[in-house]
Amino acid sequence: MTARPDPLIHPITRLSICGLLAAGGDWVEFAALRDAAGISDSVLSKQSRVLEDAGYVEVRKGAVGRRPRTWFRLTAEGRQAVQGHLAWLARLEEAVSASTRDVQQAGALPGDRGQPRLVLPPLLSGS
Amino acid sequence: MRDAARDPAALELLRVQRSRLADRMRPPWWYLSGIAIVWALTFASPFSSRYLPQGFRIWPILLAVLAVACLLHWGLARATGVVVDTRMFRFPSGRPAEIAIIVVGAAALVTEFLLVRRGLLVAAMVVAALAVVAEVACQQAQLRGIRQDLRGGGGAA
Repeated sequence: MTARPDPLIHPITRLSICGLLAAGGDWVEFAALRDAAGISDSVLSKQSRVLEDAGYVEVRKGAVGRRPRTWFRLTAEGRQAVQGHLAWLARLEEAVSASTRDVQQAGALPGDRGQPRLVLPPLLSGS
Repeated sequence: MRDAARDPAALELLRVQRSRLADRMRPPWWYLSGIAIVWALTFASPFSSRYLPQGFRIWPILLAVLAVACLLHWGLARATGVVVDTRMFRFPSGRPAEIAIIVVGAAALVTEFLLVRRGLLVAAMVVAALAVVAEVACQQAQLRGIRQDLRGGGGAA
């Protein structure tokens, strides 16, 4: 699996939908997906249609009594794209945390410590 | 629309959402009761050869077990909104529990057959009852493993 970004699942709503479908469940029902992602019905309908058109998500519609039920699952292509995108995001997160660590360590360099305390009071009293 | 790369908490948000999805996989009371019935029927099969009328075959019991198990799987999917793959060893965290289910089941059936053959009916019934309790506990552990994998995304194929 190659870690690479996918522009189609880059927006966070679609990332949430795909990430939830890739968690391990085979089929996930509309209400379960909506509640877990914390999005509205209309947003889920719209975004799932985009993913379906791209061939990333398979949709199965049925009914229990009079109540319609919609189920989603990732296609093989969609699963591959999501895993690549999540690996890329994990690498990005790792790089960001590594650079934050470097900045924190660099903060301990001699000459930087207490600078605002030494510089700001004379400037403020002089004005 | 929000962009995941500009939001450093995108993966953290996904972890929270997966956790919410995993929490839906808690089995309702009737599921565990049904599982207990399935195992009780399974462990009742060794008694059939000796105590049921001649000509009564084991297949109707096994078919009933299969039918109830399928109904429970379908009911759990409807109640939780998540269909999980029924293949064995699909979820890494559920594997130890699945191995335990097989080992306990096989050991209990063999022990029961031996006890029933020697006419130790009460001992065989005790073994069957203990095995049902153990199997329900293993099934709960398996579901806990599935929830853990859903939370971490480890269940992805």
